[in-house]
Amino acid sequence: MIPQASTYAASIDNVILLIAVLVGFWFIAAEGMFFWLIWRFRAKEGVKSEYLEGHEPHVKKWITWPHSLVLVCDVFIIIGAVQVWYNVKQRLPDDADATIRIIGQQWAWTFQHPGADNDLDTADDIFTVDDLHVEVDRTYIFQLQSRDVLHSFSVPVFRIKQDAIPGRSIMGWFEPTQTGEYDVQCVEICGIGHGVMAARIHIEDAQQHADWIRSASTGTAQ
Amino acid sequence: MARHRTPSLARLPLLALLLVGCATPPPGMERGAELFETCQPCHGANGEGTPDIQAPAIAGLPQWYIEAQLTSFQQGWRGKHADDLPGLRMRPMAVTLNREGDVPSVAQYVAALAAIFPASTLHGNAGAGAAQYEQVCVTCHGADGRGNELLRAPPILQLHDWYLVQELQNFRVGARGANPADTWGVTMRANTVVMSDQAMQDVIAYVQTLR
Repeated sequence: MIPQASTYAASIDNVILLIAVLVGFWFIAAEGMFFWLIWRFRAKEGVKSEYLEGHEPHVKKWITWPHSLVLVCDVFIIIGAVQVWYNVKQRLPDDADATIRIIGQQWAWTFQHPGADNDLDTADDIFTVDDLHVEVDRTYIFQLQSRDVLHSFSVPVFRIKQDAIPGRSIMGWFEPTQTGEYDVQCVEICGIGHGVMAARIHIEDAQQHADWIRSASTGTAQ
Repeated sequence: MARHRTPSLARLPLLALLLVGCATPPPGMERGAELFETCQPCHGANGEGTPDIQAPAIAGLPQWYIEAQLTSFQQGWRGKHADDLPGLRMRPMAVTLNREGDVPSVAQYVAALAAIFPASTLHGNAGAGAAQYEQVCVTCHGADGRGNELLRAPPILQLHDWYLVQELQNFRVGARGANPADTWGVTMRANTVVMSDQAMQDVIAYVQTLR
């Protein structure tokens, strides 16, 4: 499995695992019952088939009991999913360390980083194309925009995916938890170049990030 | 009743034909024509360009120049600056030309297209631009604007005037010619850094008179 490099990556994986386990259990149970019934009530010499309407309690319980248990499982899934959804999508951290702007266009990502002053939309902002630089263990709010058509910003190691819609600035957040260089991709069909609309995220420690800001500010970033 | 079935061996030629049909043509015009289908949505079926999306006319440009620019996009020397929006669109397309022979093939095809000379859209002062051209541009692009392969200077007569201005601006801000490895781009950029927008319009207006 690809690394979990954000604070909420594990919780998203856990929800998916919970859904997979519960749905998988009921899938195996239902298929097992299905084939057992086929075998148990197979055609036999001298035995006439019986027509069942399904109202008889001893028959109906095979539907109602699993159905009730499935609904209980649904409750667990809903509780788990809503908690994660609220944390990832419905709130913004109050104590974010920085704000970045992410702009999608056919077929590139432009990233606007705050410069040394850590304020966005100031003279020292650093613009890069297809390379996003962030510092590990810092909370970032992002403003996601599109210049042309629908795109979707995805960082698989963060487990985040957010649509970018022309005319809107959509807010979100993440906090990287491990250093490294990982994929950024567009996951909304956006035209002929969609398949190559890829970028990289560079998660750096404090010293590396400070060095990058310094070099990018003087125009020597690679 | 006996069923008539096609013997398996009899199907082999059909299979072989299908496989041959899927094979990539060798480098050359045929592969170039195939690859150019990717270019058509923006640059047009005849390489005439689509000004609405800032895709320039490319028909009839020299093969060496097309190859150089595609390589430049692939290297990230072009199309990797936040202000160069058309370039950002073009770079991923160039990156898809990743098989050996792709770049020369499509460049050969584009070079073979009949050059189109788009109508002027700008209103610069050609008289004022003439002095600038004679002073600076003529050295590489020639008195007739037909370029000089030895100096890696392309012909500029068949390009859209708005595109020429746009690229002069790209050179000025460093969207082109900023990477030291892009030797000829660096040379071109040095000639644009002090040009004003009006000077650019004027010199391109003069270029239009060379046709």
